[in-house]
Amino acid sequence: MSFFGFEERTLEREKNRRVEQDEDLAVYTWGEESYDGLGDALQEEHDELNDETFGDVGKVGKDFDFASANPAVQPISKSFFLKNLLAAQAISLESIWDDRSPFSMRLNGSGRSSLQPRGDSPAQHRQQSGIRTLQEIESEMQALLRERQQQLLQQKQREEEEFLRQEEEREFQRQRLLYQQEQAQIQRQQQLHAHQHRTPPPRMLPVSQSPRFMEHQQRQILLLQQQQEQQQLLRLQQLQEQLRVEELERQLRSQHISTIPPDPDMEALQHQQLQHQLRHRSLPLEDGLPYLPHKLAQAEFLRDMQGLPQADQEALRVEAMRKILEAEKMEEKRRRKAAKIAHMSRYNDLMTQSDKDFITRIQVSQLVSQDPYADDFYAQVYGAIVRSRMGLGADDERVLKFGASGGVALGAPSKGGNRRPNAMQRMQQQVERIVSNARKREEEKGLHSLHSLQGALGKTSGRSYKAAPRQLLQVDSGAAPSASPTLSHAQPHAHISKSDSISNSHSDAAATHAARLGRETLGNGSSEDLVRMEPLTQREILVTLENMYDLVLNVEQLRRDPASSRGRRRVFWSNGESNEFDRLVDQMWSHLKVMLPLATSTPHPFISLLSAAKGKKILPRVTRHFDQQRMNTLLTLLIACFSQLDTQAFLSSVLQSILPIIVKGNLRLVCGLVGLLMHGQDIVAIAKSRPGLALLTLFLTRVEVMRQGEVDEIPTQEDFAQWQLMFDHLFQLLTPEFPLLFPSTRMAAHLPRDQPHINIPGIDSLDQPVWQFLAALAVQASSTQHQILVSSLREKVLDNVLSAKKGWVVDEEERTTKLANVDLFLHALGLDSSQITM
Amino acid sequence: MDPSSSGIQEPFDLIRLSLSERVFVKLRGDREMTGILHVRALKHMMGHMNLILSDVEETIMIVNEGEQATVSVAKRKMGMLFVRGDGVILVSPPSRTQ
Repeated sequence: MSFFGFEERTLEREKNRRVEQDEDLAVYTWGEESYDGLGDALQEEHDELNDETFGDVGKVGKDFDFASANPAVQPISKSFFLKNLLAAQAISLESIWDDRSPFSMRLNGSGRSSLQPRGDSPAQHRQQSGIRTLQEIESEMQALLRERQQQLLQQKQREEEEFLRQEEEREFQRQRLLYQQEQAQIQRQQQLHAHQHRTPPPRMLPVSQSPRFMEHQQRQILLLQQQQEQQQLLRLQQLQEQLRVEELERQLRSQHISTIPPDPDMEALQHQQLQHQLRHRSLPLEDGLPYLPHKLAQAEFLRDMQGLPQADQEALRVEAMRKILEAEKMEEKRRRKAAKIAHMSRYNDLMTQSDKDFITRIQVSQLVSQDPYADDFYAQVYGAIVRSRMGLGADDERVLKFGASGGVALGAPSKGGNRRPNAMQRMQQQVERIVSNARKREEEKGLHSLHSLQGALGKTSGRSYKAAPRQLLQVDSGAAPSASPTLSHAQPHAHISKSDSISNSHSDAAATHAARLGRETLGNGSSEDLVRMEPLTQREILVTLENMYDLVLNVEQLRRDPASSRGRRRVFWSNGESNEFDRLVDQMWSHLKVMLPLATSTPHPFISLLSAAKGKKILPRVTRHFDQQRMNTLLTLLIACFSQLDTQAFLSSVLQSILPIIVKGNLRLVCGLVGLLMHGQDIVAIAKSRPGLALLTLFLTRVEVMRQGEVDEIPTQEDFAQWQLMFDHLFQLLTPEFPLLFPSTRMAAHLPRDQPHINIPGIDSLDQPVWQFLAALAVQASSTQHQILVSSLREKVLDNVLSAKKGWVVDEEERTTKLANVDLFLHALGLDSSQITM
Repeated sequence: MDPSSSGIQEPFDLIRLSLSERVFVKLRGDREMTGILHVRALKHMMGHMNLILSDVEETIMIVNEGEQATVSVAKRKMGMLFVRGDGVILVSPPSRTQ
């Protein structure tokens, strides 16, 4: 370890040496106990010949006194001494001994005469008059002292400035010399160079323009700047210190003025002592202060002399100081900025354009992959969705393809911003250039017929820069064709494929049961040779669903594939593609296990699949690819097993996928489905659930639409008769439960009896689907059914109207909701809430 | 009758089956969490089993050092979380209570 550049070892050595020297020295211990008595051995005699030896010359003449002999020299040396003396008074050690502070001067008046070599100050006149106050004396002495110090300072500054200037001059000269030398050397070298190589390479720059030389230059500039900055900083610090000291002084003085001292003499003494100390403390600072303090001192002096109002002076001074400080700060800032810029531009032009291109090439080459679309799957799909949402052409993929060799995925389009697209375009061009270059090189290689030798020495990993982390898990990627566009491990999962085969066999069995299912759904099926199964386990569900996802992604990929970019409709596909598509859809169909007999298990396998969240999510994606007949079957199964469904996500995902079928279905289908709902299932429970109610409402409205005749296929009279039967049955089943369909009524049963009108926030919006359903029911009901409806719902209706009209509501919104709900139902009956009077 | 229980053939099958399902993840530093596993493409997870979880509840064991070291459990919930793979010790489907 070394401090301040000194090597410690050297110090150590030095110390050791000194110790050794100490031991070499003779040690005299006279007067101590261990004194060896050498002193006693001295011979004290034989002194009588000393005069003869050293001479006794009598009077010594004055012929060596040149000064007195040559009086012309005298004045010069005298003034010189005087100058030295003055300087010494201010700062030398002597001045400490020779105490001329106001305090000591006052105490021993002898000092005064020597202190005032420059005669007449106004104070002196007054002194002669003999009557003076303590304050006068004090101020007088201060003024004198200040004056003297000021003069000394000015002189000192002048000297210092001169010195600095010379120093700078010298430095500058030195720099110039250095630079010239360097230039000369460079020229010599260049000449030498030119001599050696008649044709220098085009990229060879003269050294003076090379980046490294620039760097050197800049570093020197930087160094200079730093020095200047340091000086600046030092100056600032001194200034601040000075300010602080003066502030202290001023406080003392004002204290002195404002307070009437109990003992004026003592107070004054103390004050002077303090000031004296302050002066001494500030002295070394003032010495190092080149610019401002003398001005400040002058200002203070002037103020004392002229007796200007203190506040004005103060304001002026503060203002001036502030300005100075501000200027300093600005300068500092500018310097720092310049230094920073210089620092940053150190490495400018270190890289040539071709260097940069090289780096870009490395970076871009990492983006090239064999299957750009799959690698960028999510961004691509997202981009497609965004584009289709914006109404742009959805077919253009953001992938750069280079024949069969792969491509670069460009990701999703960036939103807005002008920079990114530009960068994208540039990158695109870059990549194209790189690829074409690579191809050209390949062709050249082909020309040189190096192909035969290629790989003869083993394969080198040309992409060593691709610093991929070592794979910790080695997953066997077999040679099997990749089943999934998104999964890199191409091996289709063995266990899944095993389950495939099983389920395939099941679907075979299912095919044989297909006819029976139809019969069963109509309610007259027999359960002969039914293959009963345990419900699907969680793992089976997950495995099947994963398989489904693979299939769905394949199908979607097939639809998106540029090879079939002629359109999204299957009609335009070529035979092979169509076959592939059909095969995949068939697989999906069998995986859904829709064709398994109803009684296979409880819950039905298909319903089990829907129990998982991702099962519900995938349903709309799957059903998109199914034809009408398959969808009808699926819907039938769904309705038949409706009570087995967990109703949580039904509305959001499942209903969405079956809605289009119901909307398009004919009366016979609707009839059959409603029949299915009532057959063997608790229709009341279904009607009390939200999705069930939604489903029933959907059926009723569909029938109403058909009744209005707004459909392509007008139902026959027979169908209507069938429906009427179905409807009556439904109405009959639900009649005792009408009030209980409302969530509010069911909740009210749990509320305390004495508060029947307690408000549950949002309860009216929960009731709304029920009112809708009842309205749909009322539209198709006969007049007797109307009466049943009114009588069973009378209380509920009145309750709502009453609370709306009597103002038992939280806000206006709730009131309107209540009335709108009731009116929804009453309008269907041909009534209105305004007709009800209380 | 259970064909698929026979074979988890490779480690990632388990992960794959747990996609969009609630999983239990044990991490270094005595941290555990349950959450719904996301991201279908496992491609970039090979080196590290990075996970994206949603609806996460994290359990942190804090050992209070002292004369008698006690273990306190801190829990926190997060909507969405990226779990860096190098901290993962195990991922498992949680035991079902159904």
